[in-house]
Amino acid sequence: MKISKRVNRGEETRLSQLKKGQHAKVTKINTQDKSLRRRLLDMGITEGVHVQVKKIAPLGDPVDIALRGYELCLRRHDLDTIDVEVLS
Amino acid sequence: MRIALVGNQNSGKTTLFNQLTGTNQKVGNWPGVTVERKVGIIRGTDFELIDLPGIYSLSPYSLEENISRTFLFEEHVDVILNIIDATSIERSLYLTTQLLELNIPVIVALNMMDIADKRGIKFDLATLEKRLDTSILPISALKKTNIFNLIQTLKLGDYRRNLYQHIYDHELEKAIDSLMPIVDTKHSRFLAVKVIERDPLFEDYVNTEVQGIIDDISKKYQRDMEQIIADERYRYIETIRDEAISIKKQNLTITDRLDNIFLNRYLAIPIFIIIMFGVYYLAAGPFGSWTVDLVDGVITQLKEWMEVFLIDVNASPWAVSLIVDGILAGVGAILNFLPQLIILFILISLLETTGYMARIAFFLDRIFQKVGLSGKSLIPFIVGSGCSVPAIMSARTINDETEKKMTIMLTPFIPCSAKLPIVTLFAGYFFNDRSGFISASLYFLAIIIILVSAYTMKKILFRGKQSSFILELPEYKRPSLRYLWFDVSSKALAFIERAGSIILMASIVIWFLLSFNFRMQYGIAVDDSILASIGRLISWLFYPMLGELSWAASVSAIQGLIAKEQVIGSMAIIAGYSSDISEGTLLFTSGIFSFFTASSAYAFMIFNLFSAPCFGAIGAMREELGTTKRMWKAVIFQTGLAWLLAVFVFQISRLIEVIL
Repeated sequence: MKISKRVNRGEETRLSQLKKGQHAKVTKINTQDKSLRRRLLDMGITEGVHVQVKKIAPLGDPVDIALRGYELCLRRHDLDTIDVEVLS
Repeated sequence: MRIALVGNQNSGKTTLFNQLTGTNQKVGNWPGVTVERKVGIIRGTDFELIDLPGIYSLSPYSLEENISRTFLFEEHVDVILNIIDATSIERSLYLTTQLLELNIPVIVALNMMDIADKRGIKFDLATLEKRLDTSILPISALKKTNIFNLIQTLKLGDYRRNLYQHIYDHELEKAIDSLMPIVDTKHSRFLAVKVIERDPLFEDYVNTEVQGIIDDISKKYQRDMEQIIADERYRYIETIRDEAISIKKQNLTITDRLDNIFLNRYLAIPIFIIIMFGVYYLAAGPFGSWTVDLVDGVITQLKEWMEVFLIDVNASPWAVSLIVDGILAGVGAILNFLPQLIILFILISLLETTGYMARIAFFLDRIFQKVGLSGKSLIPFIVGSGCSVPAIMSARTINDETEKKMTIMLTPFIPCSAKLPIVTLFAGYFFNDRSGFISASLYFLAIIIILVSAYTMKKILFRGKQSSFILELPEYKRPSLRYLWFDVSSKALAFIERAGSIILMASIVIWFLLSFNFRMQYGIAVDDSILASIGRLISWLFYPMLGELSWAASVSAIQGLIAKEQVIGSMAIIAGYSSDISEGTLLFTSGIFSFFTASSAYAFMIFNLFSAPCFGAIGAMREELGTTKRMWKAVIFQTGLAWLLAVFVFQISRLIEVIL
C-alpha cells in the first residue's frame, strides 16, 4: 500500500493516509464486510467522530488511533476503508 | 438471585468478580482474559454471580458476544451488573445502552475511579444516573473502594428499576414502538432493535408485518440500519457526556511517554528481544537450574531418610520400593522444577498485567500477518510457555477464524512449563556449559516451526481474503502485588495438584508395570518387566531418532500424553530401578539410559517438545477447534512433524559426528 505525501487540513482522504499526530473527522465507512463494519461501529468509529493517529507500529503497520478517549489498533488495510476529512 | 457481570474487555471485570466472590480468577491487562463463563457466590449472600466474557457490543459477529447475548436473552437473570471503565466512558456506555434495552434492571459500576480522578475526569453522577435512569456506583475494583457498598446495594435491592429512555430519533422510536407488540417477548424492545438491524439470529421473528415496518424505516433513512442505530447510540452518549462529564485536556500521559520508548521505531524490537531473553534466561538459565538442584537435594535427602525409616519399621521390600522408587522418584522428579516454574509464572504474569503483552501483539502484528497469523497469536504463544491449556483458550480473542484455527494448532509447539523439565534435564547433562544456549535454540526452533508451518498452511490450506486486526491498546498499569500472588499461586497449586494426582497415579502404575512380569512375580530383572515388553512393541518407532532400540525411552515418551513432565518422572523411576541411583543428572549414568549421546538427546528433546501435547491440551484443542476431526488432524500433524524433525536432526548430527 502506497503512502502518499502529507495530506493537509480540509482535504478528504482515507484514514490510512494520515501521518502520526494528525487529527481527522470520519466521513464514511466503505467496507462491504458486514462483520468488520459492525466491529468498527461498535468500537466507536461512526460518522463524524474525531480521530487522531497516535502511534504507528515500528514496522509501519498496524496503526494506533485515539478516539472517544481511548486507543484502538487497526491494520492499514482496514483503515483504508475509512474516509476522513483532515482537521490538522 | 442471579446476577450477570457484563463489561468491556479490560474493564477490570475479572478483578471485580474476585473482589465480590473471593475466588481467584485469571486477571490480566490485555483484552479478553475471560474466555469462559465463570460462576461464583457473592460474599455474605447467596447471590450467584456469572462472569460473562468481556464484550464491546451485543452484535452477532463474535463468539463471545454471542455467548453473552444468548445468555442474557434466554436465561433467567435478575440483575445485570455492568462494569464500566471510567477512563473510556464513551465506548463503555455504548454497551450499556444495549443492555438497557433488555428487560432486566442494570446497575452500573463505574470502575477505575481512582485513575479517572488522577487524570482529571469529573463525573456529575446525579445527572448521569438521571439520564441513563439506572443506579451508578463509583468504585475501584483494584483498590477495593466501595465494593462493600456495591454488595450492600445488591443485597437491599436498593437500585433503580430502569425504565427505557428514548435514545433514538423520532422516526426510529416510532418504528420500535410499532414493532414491540408484534415481536412480543420478555425483551421486546431489545428484539425490536435487533430486527431493524436485520440481525441474522432473530430472523425467525420477521413476519410480513415486521418486514413491512422494517422496509418503511429503511426507505426513510436510505442507509444501512445497523449503522444508523450505532450512530444514534453514540450521538445519545455524546449528549450525556457533554452534560455529565468534564475531561481536563492532557497533553502527554505516562502511557504516551512509555510508548515513545517501548514502541519506538528502532528500540521496540531490541527491547522486546531483551525482555523475552531475560524471561527465559531467568527461568531456564543458570538461576533456574540452581533452584532445581536445590530442591533436588532436599528430595534426595527425603528419599534416603524415608528408606532408612521404612526399613527400620520392617516394611516389606516391595513397599519400600513402591514408596521410594515409585512415588518419591516419580513425583519428586517433577516437584524439582516447581521453583523454576514459579519464576516463569511470575514473569509472564508481569508481562500480562503491566500492559506490555498488548504492545507486543501490536508491533509484531506485521510479521505475523505475513505468515497468516495475527499479532494476537503472540498472546497464546507467550501464555503457552506456561501452559498450553489457557493459551489455546486465549486464542478466542483473535477476530479471524482462519488465524484463530492456525494459532490453536500451532500453540502446542511452544515449549510449555511441563516440557521445561525435559529440556533442563537433557540440556543440563549433555551440554552442561552450553545448556542455556541449547534451551534457547529449542525456543527459536519452536518459533521457526510455527512461522514456517503457518506460512505453508496459509499458502496451501487457507487461501483467502485479508483479515482484520482490532485491538484496544490498554494503559500501562503498575502491577498489583496482590494479583501477582493470586495468579502465580493458583498456577503453582495447579501444578502441585497434578503432581499429586495424575503424576502420582502414573508413577504407581509405572512402578507396578516395572516391578512385575506377566506372571505377577515380584523381584524380577527390569528387562523382564511388563513395561519392558510394552516398550519393545513400540521401540522401533524411536530407533531412527535414538540409534538404539530402547524400550525405556519409548514408554517414557509415550507417557508425555498424560503430562509432559511424566516423561522425566517415568525415566527417573526406570533408571532408579535398574541401578541404585536417584534421579537428576545421575539418571544418564544408569545402564538403561547410558546409550544417550548429545545427538540422540537433542533429537529426543525435539520429539517430546513438538509431538502431540498432553491430554489436557488435546482436549482444549478439541473444544476450540470445534470438531474431533480437526483435533485429530492437529494431533497427527504435530506428532508427524515432531518425528520427522527429530529423525532428521539425529541423522544429520550423527553424520557430522562421523565426519569429524
